[in-house]
Amino acid sequence: MSLLPLSRGTRGTRAIPDSARLGPQPGEVIDRGRSVPFTWNGAAHSAHPGDTIASALAAAGVRVFSRSYKYHRPRGLLTADYLDPGAFLQVGDEPNVRGAHRLVEPGMEVSSQNTWPSLRFDVKAVNQLAGRFLATGFYYKTFIKPEPLWPLYEKVLRRFVHAGTITPEVGAAYYDHRYAHPDVVVAGGGPAGMAAALAAARGGASVMLVEENHHLGGHLRYGDTADLAALAELRAQVAGQPGIEVLTDSVVTGRFDDNWIPVVQRGLPGVTERLIKARAKTLIVAPGLIERPYVFAGNDLPGVMLSTAVRRLINLYAVKPGQRAVVLTANPDGDAAVADLARAGVEIAAVLDPRRGDGVRAAHGHGGLRAVETGTGQRIEADLLVTATGWTAPTSLLNQSGDRPIYDPAAARFLPDPRRMPDNVLAAGGIVGDGTTAQLVEHAEAVGREAARRATSGPTPVSVPELKPAAHPELFSAGTGGFVDFCEDVSAKDITTAVAEGYDSVELVKRYTTVTMGPTQGKLETVNAVALVAAATGKSIAETGTTTWRPVYSPVTLGALAGRPHEPVRHSPMQPWHQRHGATPLVAGQWIRPEHYGDPAAEVRAVRGGVGIIDVTPIGKLDLQGPDVPQLLNLLYVNKWSKLPIGRVRYGVMCAEDGVVLDDGVTGRLGEHHYLMSTTSSGAATVWEWVENWLQTAHPDWRVHVTPVTTAYASINIAGPRSRDLLSRLTDVDLSSDGFGYMNVRRGTVAGVAECVLWRIGFTGELSYEIHVPASYGLHVWEQLMASGADLGVAPFGVEAQRILRLEKGHVIVGQDTDGLTQGFTAGLDGLIKLDKTDFVGLPELRWQHQRDEHPHLVGLRPLDGSVVPPEASQILDRSGGIAGRVTSSRMSPTLGRAIGLAQIDRDLAAVGTHVTVRLPDGRDITAEITDAVHVDPEGERQRV
Amino acid sequence: MSDRTPPLARGPVAVDPGVVRDGWEVDARVATGPLTLSDESPLAKVHVRAPFDGASPAALGVGFGRAARADLGTGDVLVVGSGPGEWLVLGAPNTAGALRAAIEERLAGTGEFTTVLDLTHGRALLRLTGRDAATVLAAVCAIDLSDTVTPDGTALRSSLAAVVTDLVRDDQDQTASYLLHVERSSGQYLADALLDAGAPSRLEITGFRGLS
Repeated sequence: MSLLPLSRGTRGTRAIPDSARLGPQPGEVIDRGRSVPFTWNGAAHSAHPGDTIASALAAAGVRVFSRSYKYHRPRGLLTADYLDPGAFLQVGDEPNVRGAHRLVEPGMEVSSQNTWPSLRFDVKAVNQLAGRFLATGFYYKTFIKPEPLWPLYEKVLRRFVHAGTITPEVGAAYYDHRYAHPDVVVAGGGPAGMAAALAAARGGASVMLVEENHHLGGHLRYGDTADLAALAELRAQVAGQPGIEVLTDSVVTGRFDDNWIPVVQRGLPGVTERLIKARAKTLIVAPGLIERPYVFAGNDLPGVMLSTAVRRLINLYAVKPGQRAVVLTANPDGDAAVADLARAGVEIAAVLDPRRGDGVRAAHGHGGLRAVETGTGQRIEADLLVTATGWTAPTSLLNQSGDRPIYDPAAARFLPDPRRMPDNVLAAGGIVGDGTTAQLVEHAEAVGREAARRATSGPTPVSVPELKPAAHPELFSAGTGGFVDFCEDVSAKDITTAVAEGYDSVELVKRYTTVTMGPTQGKLETVNAVALVAAATGKSIAETGTTTWRPVYSPVTLGALAGRPHEPVRHSPMQPWHQRHGATPLVAGQWIRPEHYGDPAAEVRAVRGGVGIIDVTPIGKLDLQGPDVPQLLNLLYVNKWSKLPIGRVRYGVMCAEDGVVLDDGVTGRLGEHHYLMSTTSSGAATVWEWVENWLQTAHPDWRVHVTPVTTAYASINIAGPRSRDLLSRLTDVDLSSDGFGYMNVRRGTVAGVAECVLWRIGFTGELSYEIHVPASYGLHVWEQLMASGADLGVAPFGVEAQRILRLEKGHVIVGQDTDGLTQGFTAGLDGLIKLDKTDFVGLPELRWQHQRDEHPHLVGLRPLDGSVVPPEASQILDRSGGIAGRVTSSRMSPTLGRAIGLAQIDRDLAAVGTHVTVRLPDGRDITAEITDAVHVDPEGERQRV
Repeated sequence: MSDRTPPLARGPVAVDPGVVRDGWEVDARVATGPLTLSDESPLAKVHVRAPFDGASPAALGVGFGRAARADLGTGDVLVVGSGPGEWLVLGAPNTAGALRAAIEERLAGTGEFTTVLDLTHGRALLRLTGRDAATVLAAVCAIDLSDTVTPDGTALRSSLAAVVTDLVRDDQDQTASYLLHVERSSGQYLADALLDAGAPSRLEITGFRGLS
């Protein structure tokens, strides 16, 4: 026999004279007619379609795929499937790829992770020499002191993190989300899962059948002729059965309350992963069994594999797993592996059967298996040691459903406890018990029928035949050391050490040693860890119990969880015009608004000197109807509303119960019981909710209907001394100062569009009209205004110009000039707040604020050097250097040619004419003068014409 | 006052190319596949508020959570019980005024406090039709859209792609069809989200179809 040298795992691969690829196998899944090129650590390789990365490399003779987490020991294939802890690889810019599961794709660049300078010679393997000092708890004990050095420790330790690399670049593929509501979800597509899905579908249920492998079939896929025949029959039935959605390469990652079941699906074109949020009426857990590794010295050497691993390699991928094998078999599956190996041409050096008292003490080799030491001390040369020492029932989904597994010493595995399972969760197949394929199918069919019955509220429960677990010797550890957790490099000694240090509960041992906390999440390790803890504590395995299996069942990418977030945006009807005319977009909440059309200062001058129009559609608008609207307005606004005549508009401010300013706007009375309320753009939803809350909770007796109509109208503000000239060309409404005075509302036709609402109000401080047009005609009216006003020099202006204009006029923006602590009197609403009203929201707090008279004030502010515009939020200092306030709004005024602002400031500095110090963000101090808040046209002559 | 150009109404979803029908600019495209999305915003949309437990539900003929065809005096309309004490009535384009008046007259007899409001221009109305329509919606909506849970004639309010949406199952020629009713300003966004979700199913834009 010639043992394969370790070095042939990396760049020497192509030098291997004899490929490990076998001739055609009955159940193989590869397409021998085609080849797929890929690279492994920079070297060119070839696979067949259907090959996993690991099977392709194994076919080329590669035996070492990775280095271990802590000691950087060479690791090979152990399970040759989804769980294989030795085959977590880097593929392109994707780290932690399951190499024994991921199919090879053309051009894949595959490499080992966290190995330097190479997989073959990894410097960090020096950790093995220091292994005695890296025992469990090493990090906790070593790096706790001196505490100031922790940042340095962290920096160094990060270099040892066992993970791959990612790229910040976003690829073309994306992560997707989808919702699903099947009657029945079947977790596991082996014979039991397929049979259960078929029976459920035939029972009238819609079924989602989820399988983590790329094909349905479970263990039948790598079985004998009879298994393959049964598999073909089951697959054909599933394919022909309506009502079954089959998801392969997909994993049920958890079970939450009321059968909320997340499923991660891969293999979709253009989609990296899809997270399906399924809500199932019934869940069938049918994951089969997971073969359990055996714990002995050297059990992590490349060349030590589970019996299911060699059967997969031989039967699915036609790969010869070694040249000379020792097989430790305690069950029929191990016996079948012996037959497969012999058929594949592997020399069987020895078959050791614990059922006859045989055993294995240790595996020997340096970088790869070279010899096996039997229980009697015999040394057998071999490059392959196959173990078949027992099974683990992956009860995660059942545990997440409330079940607690019970240990059965006769079967040497934990089993579900049917008494603790909720009605909407069932289990089928190997997780319940053992049997022939026919027995598994019979049991699963009954479970499937019962699942359908429960999902569809059928009348008569289905009788489910018993499926007893087969007897199996208890084989966990040879007592010679070895690794329990291959992902975390946790050894048997680590477990016993932890117990000796007082961590005598399996949950504590888990947290102290990190056993079962790696990517395989305990599926390979838990039972062995429990057995070792039990042995160390002198308790039975049943008394020791298991750790808790929590979601997720297997690691989930952050991308799958995030998906593609939905980020709604809102557009006004005039948005196409804004885009065509080069508007710079401003994201204001969900709204996309024109910030300016190139020169905000010019837009200000156009309004002051002629006429401008601005799209103010986002202004919140509520239609109020009913005889009790005045009471509602009186309750919510700080000023009085009982005597608002039809055709008039009034400005109002809402405060919360604590007197803090909530929102402002105008409300116009359109008819006897009909009002239109406006709110700030950002406050539209809040105010609607606020109004409805008061109506529904405090005054359900009031006859008021509130309907949000923000986007029912396209809203346009026409501002400037020529605004009347412009609008009069397009409307039938009398716009004369006598016929339509300041703070009035009219309804009429604009540009041929009926049912428009016109307000004469003035946020900009100019003569202006705010027209609200049925939204579908918004673009038409806007275009008509621009066309009709060409000779007047009409110009569009954006949000920035509007901010400047209103600042010049000293108008407050709620949320900018106020904050979450700004009460009404601080906002300068002294004349508006009517403390003599019987009641309104915030009245008690505002009365108290008024009585205390110690609140900050909102004032105008002008830097003495008018060329300096202090950034908003700049602090204002008192005479001792303390903070006395802040700049809330600040701009260069095109009208005045100097900087102006608004500020909140302590009352003793608020007098007009006071000089204050403003500290700029760069640390410089400037002097500014307190002024009246109104910088332009304080008498209001421009807007009352 | 000078009216130089006749008013042209436009829906919230961009058209490419457009054609004018009954004063509305609508999409001229005609889909050839079995899965379509159309902008039905030109339909008259009248919003009704009335006591949910009074006489008005009987006067309108539909309760909360259901939708049904009816003739309230202006021809064939779809009455949707869109919320508790809240209805949406859809009618042919440019009939909102008459429809509103007919509903007000009908409800006046109940003596109840009611409000009837024309929201034609304030809402976007999309129609998603095809056997795979529910599959498309499953990408943006958490509701179970199976026939047993949401059969033809179901009305509900939920989140579609993070936008509050009234969803009405209104099958056409025994093919699943959903009317999706949102704030007008969200119409383009929702259409884009649906087209994205429906791309794998070959969702196509088609022109205005109307109520029948």
